[in-house]
Amino acid sequence: MLRWALAFAAAAYAAHLAVVHATPIDRSLPLLAVAVTVVAAVSYPSIMLAVPLLLAAEIAIADETARLLAFGAILGTSFAIAIADRRPSRRFDDSATGRLARPTARPILTTVAAIVILRWIPLESVLAGRELFLLAVAVLIVVVLGRTPFSATVAIVTVLVTPAVPLRTLALPIIVLVVAVLARFLGMPSVALVWPSAMVAGFVLLFFAWSGVVARGFPYFLHRAEPHRPAQVVARAVAAGSGVTLDVPEGTAALVVSGANIAGLPRGAPLAQVDPGGIIVRVGDAADWGYMRREHYYGSRNALPANPAGTVRGYGYEAWVDGAGRVPLPRGARAIRVTADSALPAGAALQIERFELRP
Amino acid sequence: MIAVTIAALLILPLIALRRQTLWAYYGVDAATWLLAYLVWLRLPDVFAHHAYLGCVTVAVVKLATFFLFLARGRDVRWSAARAAAIAAIVYAITIPSMIRAPIDGDEPFYLLMTESMLHDADVDLANQYLALERTASGRTDLVPQLGDPTGPSGEQYSRHEPLLPLLMVPGYALGGLFGALATIAFFGVLLVRSTVRWMEDEGVPDGAIRAVFPFFAFAPPVLFYATRIWPEVPAAFFFVEALRGVRAQRMKRWLPAVFGLVMLKLRFILVAAALLATMFLKQRRRPPRALIIAASVLAVPLIVMWLVSGSPTSVHSWGALLPPTQPLAYVRGLFGLLVDGMSGIAFQAPFYLFGLFALTRWRTTPAGFRIGIFASLLYVLYLVPRMEWFGGWAPPLRYIVFLMPVLALGAASVWDRLSRGAIAVVALWMAGLVIHGVAYPWRLFHIANGENAVGEWLSTVYRADFSRLFPSFIRIDDAAWIGAAVAILVVAFGLWRRIDTPVTIAAVSLAIGAGFVYARQPASQVEFEDAHVVREGADLYPEYYTMMRVGHRGGLVLEAGDAVSFLAREGVWTLHYSTGLGALIEIEGRAYELPPAEGYQTAQVVVPRTGRITLRCLRGAVNAERMHR
Repeated sequence: MLRWALAFAAAAYAAHLAVVHATPIDRSLPLLAVAVTVVAAVSYPSIMLAVPLLLAAEIAIADETARLLAFGAILGTSFAIAIADRRPSRRFDDSATGRLARPTARPILTTVAAIVILRWIPLESVLAGRELFLLAVAVLIVVVLGRTPFSATVAIVTVLVTPAVPLRTLALPIIVLVVAVLARFLGMPSVALVWPSAMVAGFVLLFFAWSGVVARGFPYFLHRAEPHRPAQVVARAVAAGSGVTLDVPEGTAALVVSGANIAGLPRGAPLAQVDPGGIIVRVGDAADWGYMRREHYYGSRNALPANPAGTVRGYGYEAWVDGAGRVPLPRGARAIRVTADSALPAGAALQIERFELRP
Repeated sequence: MIAVTIAALLILPLIALRRQTLWAYYGVDAATWLLAYLVWLRLPDVFAHHAYLGCVTVAVVKLATFFLFLARGRDVRWSAARAAAIAAIVYAITIPSMIRAPIDGDEPFYLLMTESMLHDADVDLANQYLALERTASGRTDLVPQLGDPTGPSGEQYSRHEPLLPLLMVPGYALGGLFGALATIAFFGVLLVRSTVRWMEDEGVPDGAIRAVFPFFAFAPPVLFYATRIWPEVPAAFFFVEALRGVRAQRMKRWLPAVFGLVMLKLRFILVAAALLATMFLKQRRRPPRALIIAASVLAVPLIVMWLVSGSPTSVHSWGALLPPTQPLAYVRGLFGLLVDGMSGIAFQAPFYLFGLFALTRWRTTPAGFRIGIFASLLYVLYLVPRMEWFGGWAPPLRYIVFLMPVLALGAASVWDRLSRGAIAVVALWMAGLVIHGVAYPWRLFHIANGENAVGEWLSTVYRADFSRLFPSFIRIDDAAWIGAAVAILVVAFGLWRRIDTPVTIAAVSLAIGAGFVYARQPASQVEFEDAHVVREGADLYPEYYTMMRVGHRGGLVLEAGDAVSFLAREGVWTLHYSTGLGALIEIEGRAYELPPAEGYQTAQVVVPRTGRITLRCLRGAVNAERMHR
């Protein structure tokens, strides 16, 4: 136990020394180091190699996205290996002879470590009471479902998608727990599903730096990020029923639009029409600009646009993507008229953000 | 090439893995591909600029995963032949990476000799130098190396022994440069097979052999020398065969192997002589016939070189047989080979520290290991005091590649006693070295200036002296003796299995963190030619590719208007410089007149504050070598 305690302290301090960049993820490097060391302590000690790898990534990778993804790859791989570990758990104070003890620690500690990484960054945004409650429910889910890889992943994903704002969203993990208890009571065996569970956990932790987006819009990460394109900023808001005529710049690839105060509209609701061509822009082509924010998400009916053009904002569980989407324009059009749908709610508007040009 | 590499990575597991282990591997393989794909989705700009690095990283990670399964899997079919097949595939997909940059060092000269043998049936390179546009090396800048022998009628010969070029003739005839490289890779495959067989002969358990195999075969230095045109890997093969022959007391095996060894490079006569002496000393009966044959074998290469170049020792002198008498030269070379940041085992091939650890368990090591070490002692004794102990302009550890199979055998024999944390750290570092060397093959060649690739790169990024963290015995720094002491302690005590994995990895992590913080602080010594010094104008002196540059004093030449900036501590410093014309320099508002003088001089200068300091040349020109507090 003592050597692992020293390992935790050393890992945390080493990470503290290596912090170079200023994002909340980089500043949380000591937390990441401790979390991965905990995981190593209850599964394969070699997983602790993730600590020097995290330090190397912090020091060596200047590009922010690449660096945070490198962190994610390191953590995702570490947790996937730990979750897939089906050997009987060992206690911290196992002797070199490998004496085995009660099979309790690994799935629970791995789950707790994953949830802390996914939800407690940035630390200043943590709602302590709600987060502790979620941790407790997660542990119960793991125990009820048999301390298997599947149970750990169910707990992690359930807690991840619970915004905890507003308070009533805490009902989701409780419902999952109740269902789990009932299922076990009715004789459901322990389900392992090692490989799928490990891969899901790995995927979730790969993007932990933007866990808020994973929780509220994970398909965003299945889209190829567009390389930086030149753009001509428009920044015009069009109220319901009104329109605006715009000159289309040479080499335009798409028009980028989003909505203001349209979070309550369902997918498919018309937002605007683009002429010539009569192109109907709907919810689904674009979304409310801030619909994915943690405090707004529960009340929103929007979803990630089909061709998202939004920017990732924030980090960790506070991360979100604005609701901008790309709308293709009629080929060869030199001017377009964009008319906002007259049925838009009061106060709602279509926001014409920019013309995206071909590189 | 990507498709071929992917196919190779898919085929490799079929050679050695079976049943559950095979399916488990393919499951992990699929997950790795998925991970790589998801990362690719998010980094279009980064991949546009670093696509090759990304591909190499994925390939190396997959190979490492495969070797992990090979080492630890339950359903594994293993043999020396399978090891050779795996090596053949890996070397085949590595060769194209090596020729992304023109071959360098001695490589193009070996190729010129091959071309001359094939086209002209001679070793006179005079016409080759006149028609360099025809050489497959692509090097139209080649000139005869300093001291290359010449003939009475204007012949131009190479200093290099002719056996390697002769061996490459068939491959070159069939496939040009790639065929020549394939010949070397073929010897790499033979080396791998022979080494695995040797380990089996010496009683090393299968599990240890499978674990050690990738460290030996697919990591520096063997990987890089098996896929480039150097005699080191063929020499290693012959050495292993000679050792196997000596151990089995089969003259039909050791005699041709020794012959091949000494014919490759004259310097291996030292190894052959020591090996034969070791063999004969152990025998009760020493048949005169065997002694005569052995002496003949050692004499033949001398005769061949005399016939080719007119001198039995080629460009070397008989005086080179007299060992230098300065003790420091021996210490420098020996510790340099151990721990130098650019050319030492600890940083360039740390796996072989485990082989050195085996020396501490001498009595329990296999007899083959002990004989191999004895056979190499004379060679190492002559190598370490030489100025070029680090291998010259070549990938790291050039002169001791032949010894790697012996050290690998030692490592395999003590595998179960090694710290698992140390193995994990070494595996990580070696994977990084492979990624770096395959993605940037031109960086395998590093100028001997006391820095190394990692230190230089970090110094450039952070504009602070990171190179001082790495021991250098090329330009001895403060870290050199500390590093040597640490390396000895680690080899002697730090690699035991009783040292826990978390302790080892935590210690390494702390070293990284502490080193990073320390390196970003201003130093008390500045070498002006180092990467952390920011230049405005100022030219390197002597020029970057000057022959044996390590033997020259150098620095930066600043003319009027040129400036350099660097981190320094407040205080009184000593500036080492030379100026034939005289110069006026300014350091943070204070001017210093440097009178003209012959040779290097010193001057006291004041650094008024700790931080980034600018030295500017106001008048004249000065060669600024270094400053220290």
